[in-house]
Amino acid sequence: MPTIEGLLSSALYTIEAWASVRRAAAVMEYHGIGCLPVLDEEGQLVGIITSRDVKGSHPNRLVADAMSREVVTVDPSASLWEAHDLLLSHNIERLVVVKDRQVVGIITGSQVAAELGKYVDPLTDLHKAEILYERAVRLLAKGWEISVVFLDLDDFGRLNKEYGHVHGDRILVRTAQILKSLTVEERDTLCRYGGDEFAVLTPQPPSAAAGLGREMVKAVEGEKWPLPVRISLSAGIAGGGRSGNADTARHLKELAAGLVNAASLASSRAKRLKVPVLVADGANLPELKPPAEVRA
Amino acid sequence: MAPKETLSSPEPSRKAELVIKLSEFEIPPTQDILLVGRRAPIGPEAARRMVDAVSPEQYELISLDHEIFEAIVVKKSLLTLLPKDKLLPVVIEEGNRIADANMVIKAQVNISIQVSRTVDI
Repeated sequence: MPTIEGLLSSALYTIEAWASVRRAAAVMEYHGIGCLPVLDEEGQLVGIITSRDVKGSHPNRLVADAMSREVVTVDPSASLWEAHDLLLSHNIERLVVVKDRQVVGIITGSQVAAELGKYVDPLTDLHKAEILYERAVRLLAKGWEISVVFLDLDDFGRLNKEYGHVHGDRILVRTAQILKSLTVEERDTLCRYGGDEFAVLTPQPPSAAAGLGREMVKAVEGEKWPLPVRISLSAGIAGGGRSGNADTARHLKELAAGLVNAASLASSRAKRLKVPVLVADGANLPELKPPAEVRA
Repeated sequence: MAPKETLSSPEPSRKAELVIKLSEFEIPPTQDILLVGRRAPIGPEAARRMVDAVSPEQYELISLDHEIFEAIVVKKSLLTLLPKDKLLPVVIEEGNRIADANMVIKAQVNISIQVSRTVDI
């Protein structure tokens, strides 16, 4: 998952706290920007002044008397999703990017939203797989046990050939809606993994994830489809958590990828064995209680 | 009578008249109290810097949660005569009657303490 560092432009414009609002307005207008981080004599961030602040202040005022002192900052290594969460939780439009106590840039909500849009599947409106990996790594880094439910539509290639891709797409969209209705938004991450494959990341043990997988398979089979064919899913489950020294970003990414792969193989095996849900070998970890907020 | 300009006149004459008023600059120019309006040309930080520059450590800046005034700059010596909670509400109330948020109001405050005591004779 890309970090916000990729959104930073090479040009950074700042202003001193003791400059006038008039000058801040001129700098913003000249560079076509909507805000400026405000620095003190030591070059440290002390505030932010926006075009709205400028409009509401006398041009003779000091920037220090017109700026907002509450600045929400973010590290350039933060993921797009973390930035998105910060913008939402503080109900703001901009984040100041700070590295080693030095301002290195500004990112806006529209930049983050546009970038995140690249990770949304345009057909189903679900996340793409990158988001699932990013969240998996984040949960693993916090020491959580996670499970992946990998779901694959059965004989979807044949359905596409028999009825055409338009009908195939409609089935994908409806399947996505059914799966989404069974997930808990604050807890689970559902993505369209590939063509006819979906995956759910959930911070629950494999046994609970298997229950979720069974529910999903049942719901899709129970749907009244407009085509005279049986639409079904095969689900594979894999779960696990961080162990030993596996705490570097690379290790955690490998662990997440390993779980997705194990779940994917389990789903293929479930399809071969004609069972709805199969839990990957070695994934039957002891029941671990997730933190209270997840259980709630 | 001013000379009449005719076609045959030379170049018109121009003169400048200077009126100079000299008086002593008052230090500090803030007097006793400054009430800083929310949309005034100077804000609290500028006011603080100004009084600190001309009268170091003699004034205190107090931020206000007020509809019109953003801050008040008050001479510390006044606060030794009268506590803040007695002095400031009165000054703010009176300032409120005449000012709007675009203004900086300068106030001169004279405090006289009246004491009447009796002793046994």
